[in-house]
Amino acid sequence: MKKIAIASIMLVFVPLLSLANEYAVISNKNIKELSESEIKAIFLKKLTFIDNFAAVPVNLEAGDSLRVKFEEKLLDMSFERLKSYWTKEHYLGHRPPVNMKSEESVKAFVKKVDGAIGYINANSVDDSVKVLYKWSD
Amino acid sequence: MLKIIVILALVLSLYAEEEYQLGEGIQVASLPFFVGGYVSSDYRNMNNENRYRLDDIAVIGYGSYDKFSYMAEVEYKGFYTETYKDDAKDVNKNNRLNTERIYLDYNYNESYMFRVGKYNSPIGFWNLLPVNVLRDTSSNPITSEIIFPKFTTGAGATYSSYNEAELKVNLMLQNNEDIDNNYNNYKIDKHYGIGLLYGKDDYAIKINGGHFNRLDSSLATPDELYYFLLSGKYDRDKYQFQSEIGSQKSKREFTTNYAAYIQGLYRFTEQHIGILRFESYDDKLNNKKDDIAIVAHTYRPIYPVAIKSEYQFHSLHLENQFLFSLSVMF
Repeated sequence: MKKIAIASIMLVFVPLLSLANEYAVISNKNIKELSESEIKAIFLKKLTFIDNFAAVPVNLEAGDSLRVKFEEKLLDMSFERLKSYWTKEHYLGHRPPVNMKSEESVKAFVKKVDGAIGYINANSVDDSVKVLYKWSD
Repeated sequence: MLKIIVILALVLSLYAEEEYQLGEGIQVASLPFFVGGYVSSDYRNMNNENRYRLDDIAVIGYGSYDKFSYMAEVEYKGFYTETYKDDAKDVNKNNRLNTERIYLDYNYNESYMFRVGKYNSPIGFWNLLPVNVLRDTSSNPITSEIIFPKFTTGAGATYSSYNEAELKVNLMLQNNEDIDNNYNNYKIDKHYGIGLLYGKDDYAIKINGGHFNRLDSSLATPDELYYFLLSGKYDRDKYQFQSEIGSQKSKREFTTNYAAYIQGLYRFTEQHIGILRFESYDDKLNNKKDDIAIVAHTYRPIYPVAIKSEYQFHSLHLENQFLFSLSVMF
């Protein structure tokens, strides 16, 4: 009876879990595997080269829901804290990552540019880009 | 002042590709070159003396091309000061344009970076962001003023690793005079320093040590000095703790037995920040020993604009003071 109950619960909840949105940090295929800490350092412009390529992090536009999720999950920083971070970095001579309007633009840019790294919905990933990291809601 | 206005007018007359945002500078045409700057003014009330000051007017220019990046900063320091004491007014003007920073970086690969020029000595945490608009309070902790040279003119090298945690090693090498000796807390012609930083999640600790040679030494103030600084930081969205403790000695004796501070910062909202700092130092070079408690409030309507007030309680009571400042990064 207990096994049947567990199986029933699994039947109900497992499909629900699979509905969770999944996202991916993607890079150009030339880029080596990167740790979570290295991805964070690239988006904060602390790490500016990967092997011999200039690292080119690409953000979605400010306020984009996926960008907010990425910044909270990978950078562990709120939007306001990032604003203050980039004002400080301006004094140190560093610029924030460039912004792109859509996930399609990010994917096309990453595919084309050596050293480029961005984030998109995992459903949009294909063989033209490399997945460095995945997370879900 | 005229030079600054000319530079700004020239920049503003050129087309910038990006939309301008306060505190992030502006790109000059489509060149790999950005221009920004900052200004700060302050008021101090101490021992029946009122001081009004337009302190910093600075322009910075920087950019990067391929494996090179570059930075230059010029500044008027203490540009205009009015002091009132016992009904007497004193006015000071300083029209000298100082070279605060000018350096070229070469990023050899993802781990190694080399630098030549004049730069903020990468010692501790406070000295990396020393300008009023970026620091937490109008005043600087004494620890960041008396232990080590704030600026180094010469070469530098950095090793960085970000595998599972941040690891950074900084080398500072100076064996020549400062590019602008008037703009440093010590007039020096030699500085060899090393720093080691370890950071993980919200924590960072840093150890610095080094040696420098003063040019304005005397019998009472020796030329060859050695320093040590230990720094720690814990930073969250809502609050931050930061502490630095250092010491300085000559070949014969300690010239600063210790200088230390511990600071707690709480962000009530993104605009309103409360700061509490305790400092203590024993400076033999200047024969001064003091304990200080600082209560401060910073209001940032937007981050690049800071309106700060603070009160300092000193064990040397005559140095109790109120500070108010307005500073803007552009």
